[in-house]
Amino acid sequence: MTDQPLGRRLMAALARTPGIGIGIASLLLVASLALAYHNEDLSRAEKVREVEVQARVLAASLAAPLAFDDDAAAREYIDALKASPDFDAVGVYEENGRLVAGFTRAGEPLPPTNVVSQPRVRGTEIIVTVPVEQSGTRLGSVYVGAAKESWSRRAARYLGIAIVVIMASLLVAVLGAFYASVSAANRRLQAEIAGREEAEEALRRAQKMEAMGQLTGGVAHDFNNLLMVASSGMELLERTTDPIRRDRLKDGIRQAIERGSKLTQQLLTFARRSPLSPEIIDVEARIRSLQDLFERSLREDIEVQFDFAEGLWPIAVDPSQLDVAILNIAINARDAMPHGGTIRISAQNYPGDKSTRDMVRITIRDAGNGIPPELLEKVFEPFFTTKAVGTGTGLGLSQVYGFVRSSGGEVRIESEVGKGTAVSLLFPRSSEPLSTETSSDTAFSRAEHDAMVLVAEDDEHVASLVGEMLRELGYKSKRAATAAEALRMIEESGPFDLALSDMIMPGKMNGLELAQEIVRREPDLPVVLMTGYSDAAVSATAQGFPLLVKPYTMETLGIIVGQALQSAPRQADQPNP
Amino acid sequence: MVRKGSLRIWQAIMIALLIGLAPSAASAKTAASASAYAVEANYLSKFAAFVEWPQSAFDSPTAPLTICVSGQDPFGQMLDEKVRGQHINDHPLIVHHGETVRSGMPCHILYVGGEASEEALQAIKHEPVLTVTDRGGAGTGGMIQFTTVGRRVRFTIDQAAAQEGGITISSKLLELAVNVSR
Repeated sequence: MTDQPLGRRLMAALARTPGIGIGIASLLLVASLALAYHNEDLSRAEKVREVEVQARVLAASLAAPLAFDDDAAAREYIDALKASPDFDAVGVYEENGRLVAGFTRAGEPLPPTNVVSQPRVRGTEIIVTVPVEQSGTRLGSVYVGAAKESWSRRAARYLGIAIVVIMASLLVAVLGAFYASVSAANRRLQAEIAGREEAEEALRRAQKMEAMGQLTGGVAHDFNNLLMVASSGMELLERTTDPIRRDRLKDGIRQAIERGSKLTQQLLTFARRSPLSPEIIDVEARIRSLQDLFERSLREDIEVQFDFAEGLWPIAVDPSQLDVAILNIAINARDAMPHGGTIRISAQNYPGDKSTRDMVRITIRDAGNGIPPELLEKVFEPFFTTKAVGTGTGLGLSQVYGFVRSSGGEVRIESEVGKGTAVSLLFPRSSEPLSTETSSDTAFSRAEHDAMVLVAEDDEHVASLVGEMLRELGYKSKRAATAAEALRMIEESGPFDLALSDMIMPGKMNGLELAQEIVRREPDLPVVLMTGYSDAAVSATAQGFPLLVKPYTMETLGIIVGQALQSAPRQADQPNP
Repeated sequence: MVRKGSLRIWQAIMIALLIGLAPSAASAKTAASASAYAVEANYLSKFAAFVEWPQSAFDSPTAPLTICVSGQDPFGQMLDEKVRGQHINDHPLIVHHGETVRSGMPCHILYVGGEASEEALQAIKHEPVLTVTDRGGAGTGGMIQFTTVGRRVRFTIDQAAAQEGGITISSKLLELAVNVSR
């Protein structure tokens, strides 16, 4: 408050009360009145001096005429003064007091004798008397009566400035009052805005709750169906021995589980908590590889055209999420073109300037119905759908939005009703080179050695399942329920060839911290992390730990574990001393 | 007080002369002359205020300023009374009667009554003495010469002569002169 400039503090004070403005205006008026009074005094004194000087000049001129009785000459001098309207009365007296010559314009006649004294003011007249002297000899005296400045002349002199002062005072007062009222209105407005924001926030919360309700309802419904398939499949599986039927039932159960897994993935992506496994990818190759998928997902009357610019920068994204996102947009495009058409997928570099980064822009454009402007901002909301009940979940574009934002990019959508829609995904350019294809081509095979795996997992069911799968894959395993136990077992029950840890675990240490601790203690022991739900998953991949995303298949487990073991020196063959 | 009183008396006399004695022509002449000499005496006492003498003309700043009367003396005590108590700057005015005109006489103003002798005036031509001569004189006048205009006593000034004697006459006085020879 104190270091604010004076002007602003004054304005703030003005804003509080209009009285200050009026006070300043009154002060201005009083000050100018005082100044006017002082001026008036000065000008009167000056006028007296002026008349005195004129009287002395007259006295000097009259010395000789008085000395030598030249009344005519004296009259000439005095008549000369008649021309000036300033002089009301002028008289010249001999030393013995005789009036020699003089005139009066109006009012009182000249005094019969003249007594030389100090200048005095009588009514509207300034009266000045001076002696007529020559070489120290007094020859007579002069009487001069001059009018003070007339009221009208004085008024004229002060009128202009008075008008300016009054107008300025009025202006200050009015401005002060106006400013006070405006700031009062502004305060009311601010309060109203705050109230409205609060109401909006409450509305948003209510909407969120509603969406949550929809979500849980939808998820429960879908899961019920899947669980129905799985449980009835299991039941039927137990009752039949026909191997063909059993295979069909097992397929049905597996598909139900896969659909459930996909559903939760989509939900997590929407919640932006899905663990992403970003890889450095070549956009063109990745999208071109979707060609088969497009053919299966889109109708025959939909043609997909690609248009990729030369020298696209690599980007770091989760490739499977990118596939899903592009497919989601393509399916929306397909549905927007019920009579067929062309979907154009293009990509180009989008160089940034000083404030923005370099981006790669992927655009999926259709020539469909378009989206009305009032709906355009809703399309990324979860469960927003224009499709008929049962044909869409409303999670497609939510997945796109969640995924792109998690990858540090942005989504832009442009649409014109009747002309089509263009959805653009912008991803930041990656500074790293393209990663070599590893995951899909690595052959999965049963391990020949009996590598020992430490499984750190708090959930007993998951732990036993993982143990089973590892055994199936040809590994041996031991389980620790907490991070502390895992560390103790490494010390006491080793050696281990690999540590496989859940990321969320009870106790002081979570999976990531456990992994870091293991690397610190046993740099040669490879660590694989697994999680289904964690923000820390991103930092796990960032720190270079291989990640298993739950739920995973035995095949994935085998590949990841195999890769981890291959990348580390074989401790089983060369035990530590 | 005395002076004021005498002035008032003088005024009364003047008014009496002008109004009361006007019808008598014979007595009017002498009366007019008498009043004219009174005016001249008054003027003689005032000239000094409008004239500047060289500093050498005074022994000291308070030395008296002397008015000398030579030749025919028409004033008598009238002039003495006029100058009594008068000062020009710090110089008291005094009157010397019956002076003979000669070089080096201790006068500042010299009134020459009657016919002025040219030789006498020539003798003091280069001295700082303001010479005043009576009116009517046909011959050479003084630096200031009384004259009559209408019925009033006026004067002419010979500025050249005054300059020759080292005397400066104020322009105020010159303005009132009937005639100024330069």
